[in-house]
Amino acid sequence: MAKPVLLKALSGLLPPTHYNRIIFASVCHNGIEYSTLPNRPESHEEFEATVKNVVEKDIKDNSVMIYMKGVPDIPRCGFSSLAVRVLKLYDVPFGARNILENPEIKNAVKSVSNWPTFPQIFIKGEFIGGSGELKEKLKDVAVTAKKEE
Amino acid sequence: MGVTKEQVESSLKAKLNPSHIEIIDTSGGCGASFAIEIVSEQFEGKRLLERHRMVNAALEEEMKEIHALSIKKAVTPEQWNQQQQQSNKSDAASA
Repeated sequence: MAKPVLLKALSGLLPPTHYNRIIFASVCHNGIEYSTLPNRPESHEEFEATVKNVVEKDIKDNSVMIYMKGVPDIPRCGFSSLAVRVLKLYDVPFGARNILENPEIKNAVKSVSNWPTFPQIFIKGEFIGGSGELKEKLKDVAVTAKKEE
Repeated sequence: MGVTKEQVESSLKAKLNPSHIEIIDTSGGCGASFAIEIVSEQFEGKRLLERHRMVNAALEEEMKEIHALSIKKAVTPEQWNQQQQQSNKSDAASA
């Protein structure tokens, strides 16, 4: 089975406290209300930079981070659904954000990855691609891990 | 509105000079979703993600209208020949 092999390969990358899936539903739902912060952005440029920081923090804090349409339990697009299924198949814990609920995040992710479509997946801070590229990547990791055994 | 299969094909041909290309409209006719197989020498020495970026870049204009692009294959002519031989072999074996 690929599962334990892959998990072993990835286990070094994951802080133990981080094993559970994290869904930022509440954050997404309310939007990111910077306007209530004391150091609120003065300009649109500043606001964009702040959102970009959120994305950069996401991909730093989550070994696997997916920006998708819908939430993991209710994906709103076939490709987002596929990506989530692949991650679950390999038992990979991941953080997720729903870009349909936050266009600012959507644009920030696009500018970080320079990739036109969603879902978008980042592993260890590195942009991997969409669902197709994710499938290839995890297959490769599983194969390499098996060889090293 | 959407994009036609022919538009996608001609943009890819113009920019990536493929030796083989296959485009399938997976949108059911509305032109918003395509699956692509492409073989080009320009993929030589490039990683998967870079190859897919090249395809995305070649379709920059079309992507504004396309909802989903599934790149089934982006390989070099050498890889393509190997894959063809392998699939021929397995076809022969199963026959």
